[in-house]
Amino acid sequence: MESKPLLVVGAGVAGTAAAIEAARAGVRVTLVDENPIDYSMMRLDVPQFFGRRAADPLPDRDLLLERVVASNDDLAEAEAAGVEVRLGTCVWGAFRNSATSRVLDGPQLGLADAERSWMIKYDRLIVAAGARDLAMSFPGSGMAGVMGANGAHALMSRYQALTSRRMVVLGSGDLGLATAGMAQDCGVEVAAVVDVASSARGDEALVSRLQGAGVELYTSHTVKEAVGSAGEIESVVLVEIDDDCEPVAGTEKVVAADTVCLAIGLVPNVELLGLLGCDLAFQSDLGGWVPDRDDRVRTSVESVFVAGDVAGFHDGMVQDAEIARSQGRLAGLAAAESLGAIAEAEALARSDELQPTAYDAIPADVLSGWRRWHRSLVNAGGMNVFVCQCEAVTRAEVIGLQPPRFLEWESQQAGRRGLRAQSGDEPVNADRVKRLTRAGMGHCQGRLCREQVSLLLADESGADIAEIPCMSYRPPVRPLPLRIMWPHDEPEQVRQEWPKWFSPTHRVLG
Amino acid sequence: MDSADVVVIGAGVSGLSSAYFLAKAGRDVVVVDKGIVGNEASGRNGGMVSERVDEPALIPLAVEATRTWETLADELGHPTEFVQQGRLQVAVTEEEMGALFAERDNALRHGLHAEMVDPGEIRDLIPGITERTLGGLFFAKGGHANTQLAVQAFAWAFQDLGGRLYQNTAVTGFQVSGDRVTSVETTAGPIAADMVVAAAGPQTGLMAGLVGVHIPVAPARVEILATAPLEPLFPLALVGNGLYGHQAVRGNLLFGGGAHEWTDVDLTTEPGKPNTPLIRSIARRLAELLPDLADVPVIRSWAGVVEQAPDYMPIIDILENPSNYVVVTASAHGFGISPATGKVVSDLVLYGETNIDIGGLGLGRFANVKPNWRHQRGWTPAPNRS
Ligand SMILES: Cc1cc2nc3c(=O)[nH]c(=O)nc-3n(C[C@H](O)[C@H](O)[C@H](O)COP(=O)(O)OP(=O)(O)OC[C@H]3O[C@@H](n4cnc5c(N)ncnc54)[C@H](O)[C@@H]3O)c2cc1C
Ligand SMILES: Cc1cc2nc3c(=O)[nH]c(=O)nc-3n(C[C@H](O)[C@H](O)[C@H](O)COP(=O)(O)OP(=O)(O)OC[C@H]3O[C@@H](n4cnc5c(N)ncnc54)[C@H](O)[C@@H]3O)c2cc1C
Repeated sequence: MESKPLLVVGAGVAGTAAAIEAARAGVRVTLVDENPIDYSMMRLDVPQFFGRRAADPLPDRDLLLERVVASNDDLAEAEAAGVEVRLGTCVWGAFRNSATSRVLDGPQLGLADAERSWMIKYDRLIVAAGARDLAMSFPGSGMAGVMGANGAHALMSRYQALTSRRMVVLGSGDLGLATAGMAQDCGVEVAAVVDVASSARGDEALVSRLQGAGVELYTSHTVKEAVGSAGEIESVVLVEIDDDCEPVAGTEKVVAADTVCLAIGLVPNVELLGLLGCDLAFQSDLGGWVPDRDDRVRTSVESVFVAGDVAGFHDGMVQDAEIARSQGRLAGLAAAESLGAIAEAEALARSDELQPTAYDAIPADVLSGWRRWHRSLVNAGGMNVFVCQCEAVTRAEVIGLQPPRFLEWESQQAGRRGLRAQSGDEPVNADRVKRLTRAGMGHCQGRLCREQVSLLLADESGADIAEIPCMSYRPPVRPLPLRIMWPHDEPEQVRQEWPKWFSPTHRVLG
Repeated sequence: MDSADVVVIGAGVSGLSSAYFLAKAGRDVVVVDKGIVGNEASGRNGGMVSERVDEPALIPLAVEATRTWETLADELGHPTEFVQQGRLQVAVTEEEMGALFAERDNALRHGLHAEMVDPGEIRDLIPGITERTLGGLFFAKGGHANTQLAVQAFAWAFQDLGGRLYQNTAVTGFQVSGDRVTSVETTAGPIAADMVVAAAGPQTGLMAGLVGVHIPVAPARVEILATAPLEPLFPLALVGNGLYGHQAVRGNLLFGGGAHEWTDVDLTTEPGKPNTPLIRSIARRLAELLPDLADVPVIRSWAGVVEQAPDYMPIIDILENPSNYVVVTASAHGFGISPATGKVVSDLVLYGETNIDIGGLGLGRFANVKPNWRHQRGWTPAPNRS
């Protein structure tokens, strides 16, 4: 099996900077990134919320690869520094020994490209996996054309393959404003920027630029529904909301658009960290569930470091890539030091210089913004809206812990349980909601509903969202065809020793 | 002090089925679990239900269970997704063919319905199954259910009867007076009890240890995976090419198999249940078994910790001392047999005996098992080399 001193997952700003820093310190670095990804993944909204607004077919793979490389100026520098760069390669699993699993001879990642999968060992790991879009539902949000800012950003900057023509952006923080600005630069007409807040939340200069270009700004508004035909969105109905997030009757506006881009927030991609058993905590100022880390971006697992959006996202990071870059360099230094490539004193001195930029955080409280959006959408759209698009589970079904509707279950007892029931003794647990209702069990692997389920649970139970256990992560963290997961490197011995279910003839693993 | 006629330890399928039948018989029952309903093996297993002919001592229980499954959802008032379209075991090697014939003969000897099917018939039952299939053995009474819905169905039905369920509450010890347990100590305070049922899965051995009784149970971690949902392909439970599994009602293929790993658990905390790269070998065997489906994506895998006795058989018995203490643990057979397990345990609590034959499942069979049996067997965790 391949073994690497330092593996970096994610060739965005942060991961690339980490790789360069460690390589310059003399470490042999391998930098892995899944881009370019296949249309088959994009269609499933994996790993970003692409909303079926990617060109189909995508340009051919070689051209995409060129574009992906061209979208990150630092990559050439990384290669010059001796970093081994592997694009088109996703990390679908992360495995390491623990109290109840001791079969491995060291920590490993599961990698895959379009053809096959393989395992790879590492001494140190930097996870710079970025963030994904925070999705929220409204009537019609399952149609093609409802997408997320990170998905749009990827299609514009990496792939040059966004097919939107007229866009409404939800969210007036820097994330939404930057998305709107970038869309305009790409020739997309931006019809409106919408926010539940009473004034635009982001950079004033950006707001004026957009308004100057004819973009309507709707503050104190939410989405009532998206309307379309043949599964394609054609317009979106906005409605004004009052201080309690209730829609104000008669204030509806219909805005023609083929795209609604959710730019309400980005959520750190902590899935690999979850698999690795890194301690995670919900931190409203850092965009949700984030890894515990010290000021040198070391996680609770000794060999694992984090950098960039995955370590915590706030709006300030959209405009200023230096934050992610500095965090990347911190991670590169910390990993290099722990591998013995540079002395502690030097690593500390250089880290001290980087820390001010790396932690140049704008005090944020994403949760109150999420909550306001979520309440307004619940109030305007009602409870019979799909939270989980893959498995067709509504808000009411989540709260009612309803069995999947395809069972058409009826009985005297049906509908008596749930988080609103008199008994009030149902555990507030998102994994349990998933198991009973199927919300989060679909092919997008919960990317589009995790936060909504937690918000619903928190709202219904009064629990603090940080106290609701984080829904579990499991491999593969990308949908992976059987034929690709297939271990071409499986030793013949595995077949010879393959046991039947606890049959007395089995042999013990390990 | 809180009190109940019966305190059941463990909100897995064994404990909840027992609690349900006890509550149905009018007993005041409290179920205590350190976590939430079905969070351990009971909500993580393959959902296979069968008459278990490879384990003759289990047949009476399994036959009773299979019968009960047929009407269980209606009885409980909550869905179980039980599908009884049969169980098909296929052979891909001559050696496996031989084993199927032996198992068929065994089944017939025990009065079960089992028939051999040829490769053509198999392809009708499972379109697209590998050409390597040499033959199969079909049990009409086999099937599968949704583990998570079923274990919750028992829990809700128990609560619907007035049963009390204390989740996120761990049992830490017992008060014993003379030859009886008088109360169960939990993280939420003691509960006085006339009878105790220990259905603590892999922790059952530790639980008995708290009252000075040695019950040989070794924990093991096992893995399973799920694909994206597909159109309906086959409704039966399928065993072959080293795997067992089925297509869920929703359409996902759920298949498990491969090596288990012996491990240790502790009394009150949740054991970790990570996956390993073994899931790649499971994926391979599924693609070999159903080659037309090789492009179907795996979207999830998971693991569970099961309990295992030295002879791979469940344990259901009343302790001699303390004499008001019933133990029930399933040796990784527990989901399919759970409706009967609950009836039997309820009988033991109410009457001290049951008319379902559990002759082979008592503690007497371990009289000669030494305290260090796990070491002797090699059923101990590998050394920690993380
Ligand atoms: C609207 C918008 C505008 C932006 N404008 C700019 C800008 O002008 N300049 C700029 O520098 N940045 C811009 N950004 C990005 C932003 O600044 C980011 O916060 C910053 O780049 C952080 O980068 P990162 O390296 O943490 O994550 P990312 O850049 O997201 O990189 C993470 C990478 O890891 C990959 N990855 C994740 N998981 C896996 C896995 N399991 N296997 C393999 N690969 C994986 C991802 O596909 C991705 O390529 C913009 C973002 C948005 C949404
Ligand atoms: C991947 C997998 C596949 C399987 N496939 C099948 C199959 O197809 N068919 C089949 O029949 N069986 C199968 N099994 C086996 C089956 O799941 C188990 O035998 C069965 O679930 C055991 O149920 P139980 O209630 O006895 O134990 P558990 O489900 O383990 O429940 C025990 C409960 O006791 C609780 N507990 C433990 N200690 C304490 C304490 N100190 N205080 C309070 N509570 C405590 C635990 O939290 C737990 O909830 C499989 C198992 C796995 C993991």
